Amino acid sequence: MWIYDKKLQYPVKIKNPNANYAKIIISQLGGPDGELAASQRYLHQRYSMPYDKVRGILTDVGTEELAHLEMIAAILYQLTKGLSPEEIKKAGMDIYFVDHTTGLYPVAASGVPFDMKYVGVKGDVIADLNEDLAAEQKARVTYDNILRMVDDPDVRDPIKYLRQRELVHYQRFGDALRIAQDNLDSKNFYAFNPSYDK
Amino acid sequence: MENYPVDRAGLLRRIQAEDFALYEVALYLDAYPTNKKALAFYKEHKAILEALKAAYMQKYGPLTIYDNTSSTEWQWYRGPWPWEKEAN
Repeated sequence: MWIYDKKLQYPVKIKNPNANYAKIIISQLGGPDGELAASQRYLHQRYSMPYDKVRGILTDVGTEELAHLEMIAAILYQLTKGLSPEEIKKAGMDIYFVDHTTGLYPVAASGVPFDMKYVGVKGDVIADLNEDLAAEQKARVTYDNILRMVDDPDVRDPIKYLRQRELVHYQRFGDALRIAQDNLDSKNFYAFNPSYDK
Repeated sequence: MENYPVDRAGLLRRIQAEDFALYEVALYLDAYPTNKKALAFYKEHKAILEALKAAYMQKYGPLTIYDNTSSTEWQWYRGPWPWEKEAN
């Protein structure tokens, strides 16, 4: 079970609201490589993962992604707090506002609602861990793209932190893949499913 | 404190019961934060839960990522994990 810790993993303190920034950063809430997808990917993959160390990594990274989801939500909350309808309209956020006001609804920047299709759970050690390695890199690129669009240091600081965590998670999934491969049969190194093929 | 079981499953069952009692009263206290009876219940069961958790962790390992006590091994990753029959 989970327990909620009443603090952010890293502080978010944004002086100036900015609907333009919120419009793109929301992709890390409900987009294809966002934190919601990340958390659900790892926390659902762990059930079919046969190795305890890798179960630990998936559980702990997946849990950290929930903390990142909260940080993105805090960024979006502060970026949209106190905006007037005119400011929202001027930034082109009116097409989101009409359905959700300034509530936080997980969508991609394009407006497509969050979809579990973003999440790969193949039930296969090699397929799932390679999915995770790619997912961390894709999330890193999304943060790079956000950093290319955002000038405000108050926003860049927590985004840079989140970007760095993608790199660390990539490293840990690299460890996980090595641990998994150490457990595989050398004859079936790339095509062996320990759950089914004894 | 009452006697508590020493086997893993028995101890875990008591922890789950106390945890549930505490969570249930916490939900109630969210809406009624000055209710004396609920606050007293919270205090009483929190002490029981802490004692049960300490007894469990000493024998069976950490319950959270912050509970590892061994200086020679990180025991957190060790199974069975909660979704396995053997863990229940």
